[in-house]
Amino acid sequence: MLQYMIILLDDTSTSFCHYEVNKTERHLISLDDLRAGIRLAMIENLNVQMVYPDYELPQEYKELINTIDHSDIVPIALNHNDADVVVTDGWNSTPPAGGVAVIRTTLAELLQHGEDVSKWLATVTRLNIVITDVASFTDDDQKAYSNFLNLLGENIDKLYVNGASPQLNLLTDRMMLSAMNNCGAGDTCITLAPNGKFYVCPAFYYENPDESVGDLENGINIPNKQLYKLDYAPLCRQCDAWHCKRCVWLNRQLTLEVNTPGREQCVMSHLERNASRQLLTSIRQKGTFLPDKPEITEIDYLDPFDKIKN
Amino acid sequence: MNEDNKPFKENDPGWQGGVAKNITFIVTKDCQLACKYCYLVGKNEKERMSWETAKAAIDYILGHEADFPEASVVWDFIGGEPFLEIELIDKICDYLKTEMFRLRHHWFDSYRFSFSTNGINYHTDKVQDFIKKNHTHLSIGITIDGTRRKHDLNRIWKGDGPERGSYDDVVRNIPLWLEQFPGGGTKVTISSADIPYICESVLHLYSLGIHEVNINCVFEDVWSEGDDKRFEDQLMQLADAIIDGGYYQDYACSFFSEHIGKPLDPELENQNWCGAGKMLSVDAAGNFYPCTRFAAYSLREKRPIIIGNVRDGIDKNKLRPFLTLDRLTQSPRECIDCEVASGCAWCQGENYDAAATPTVYQRATAICLMHKARVRANNYYWNRLFRKLELEGEREQWEKNKPESNDVIC
Repeated sequence: MLQYMIILLDDTSTSFCHYEVNKTERHLISLDDLRAGIRLAMIENLNVQMVYPDYELPQEYKELINTIDHSDIVPIALNHNDADVVVTDGWNSTPPAGGVAVIRTTLAELLQHGEDVSKWLATVTRLNIVITDVASFTDDDQKAYSNFLNLLGENIDKLYVNGASPQLNLLTDRMMLSAMNNCGAGDTCITLAPNGKFYVCPAFYYENPDESVGDLENGINIPNKQLYKLDYAPLCRQCDAWHCKRCVWLNRQLTLEVNTPGREQCVMSHLERNASRQLLTSIRQKGTFLPDKPEITEIDYLDPFDKIKN
Repeated sequence: MNEDNKPFKENDPGWQGGVAKNITFIVTKDCQLACKYCYLVGKNEKERMSWETAKAAIDYILGHEADFPEASVVWDFIGGEPFLEIELIDKICDYLKTEMFRLRHHWFDSYRFSFSTNGINYHTDKVQDFIKKNHTHLSIGITIDGTRRKHDLNRIWKGDGPERGSYDDVVRNIPLWLEQFPGGGTKVTISSADIPYICESVLHLYSLGIHEVNINCVFEDVWSEGDDKRFEDQLMQLADAIIDGGYYQDYACSFFSEHIGKPLDPELENQNWCGAGKMLSVDAAGNFYPCTRFAAYSLREKRPIIIGNVRDGIDKNKLRPFLTLDRLTQSPRECIDCEVASGCAWCQGENYDAAATPTVYQRATAICLMHKARVRANNYYWNRLFRKLELEGEREQWEKNKPESNDVIC
């Protein structure tokens, strides 16, 4: 069931996820389409997330946006004081204190910025790290990524002991969850693009604008909609890397099917899961922590495909 | 009783069924015939496999032994018509044998060369020389559709001018084929126009000495209103003819199986039907496919699914959707709840081609009414046959020697 609508306000709206924005010319969504999108969200009880470009919107857009309760996802360059989520590309900017930040980074860059991550975790309320080159993750990268996560876990452990409760998607989400909590594109979440058409997620729009799944006039119609649901994903439905993005766009890139993740996404998520397990165990050795959450069990695989295959 | 001391002839489950890797060389996309029901919509005379490509494919496959752990291998050659490229095939098979030996590959003592041919070139010297050289490792099936009128209805020569059937050109080679492969089976394909000729065709094939007739309806959406009833009537006639004529003792027809037409358990019987992804196909361009049906020349609507090539190898990510497919995930509710689900087959390639999106996870159901008709006729067949066996005191013995069923669908 749909719960969220992402509205890309402009063709150059910031990416806050794995995809790249491949459009360079500004093209704002029309006021009529924005109005119709907001109306639809109200009718369908959808939570709206507005995604901003790096320039100031005209006043009439700001006023229209404010007619609905929503979240603002903005690039750090916009210097938006009221942003709910601030996105930085790379490591040249420091996310503002007290808010939710998204950092888009390659794995190699991430591995070099462990100290920055630890430092920022102490100032922001939540940090989402989006690794933009998941598709090129190899088995040779496993050890380095695992070591990085474990080191980061030690720092988070100290923060928790000192009474802080930093949130990092890669390590703390899994501890807090009791079931799969994924992106939901095509299932719980739909995207309205600046052309007035709907897409499974922003990545699908940038990859192929002809691949819309409806428009404001005729409504949303996702063919083979069931394949975006967890029950129709044979690998994911028996997986317990509950924090995994389960990115359907990456799935399709790597395996040609939206419901089947590639090995890269699975292995990375399981390295995070295992590091979360270590972190949870470590925190619990020091006192009661999340008593209603179960243990994260030890497993002997990093890719659930190996479990199915065997 | 037949020669195996069983009251039934059972369908051959195929050499090393279930434990063999099936690797298909699409040696040519050309064929002498232009069969009307052929799913190969992109046949052409240009795409012929070169020796360099074939060798590169073999080198890759044999060089990655750990990725192919199956105990045995079936090297399959397909077209178009594979025997149009008999010289290349001969060279490929020689190279395979020497390389499997040189590498001490675990397939060296456990391999088969398999062909499905239209039979037209079967008698030629080059084909016969090849057969003599490799006879102990060969499986060859000749496709003949039944009576002349049934066969010539669809299996016509390629080219302009008046339609010319190929029956005479094939049937002349059947005696030689059966002499060399006495257990040889044939594959019969049924589409809408063929329905009136099913009974006479199966009996005709039996009369030619072919003891195993593997027959199935096409999966494509070609059926007209009332076809299911006409199909059921034909199968009932065939059931009567097989039972009354005593053919069940020595002949098999894959339409009749004791195991079809039952509900399927959602957990215990959730496996995929089709072997796409467990098989491997390679074409003239050196591209790998999860099955031949995913090559461009097999697809009407969709882009090919290429899972790698002879230079870069196999992209294992592309295989994951195939190897994790199960029955329930790809089936609509009507199939999951179907009370006669067992034996209802599907072709992953046709599912993909007919799907609303480019996915192998949407099961095509064009065959639904035909399967249900088959189930009704099948029930009739077994009820009649069992009663006959009981009256003749052979039922108990049959139960002791219950044959394994085998559906050959592609």
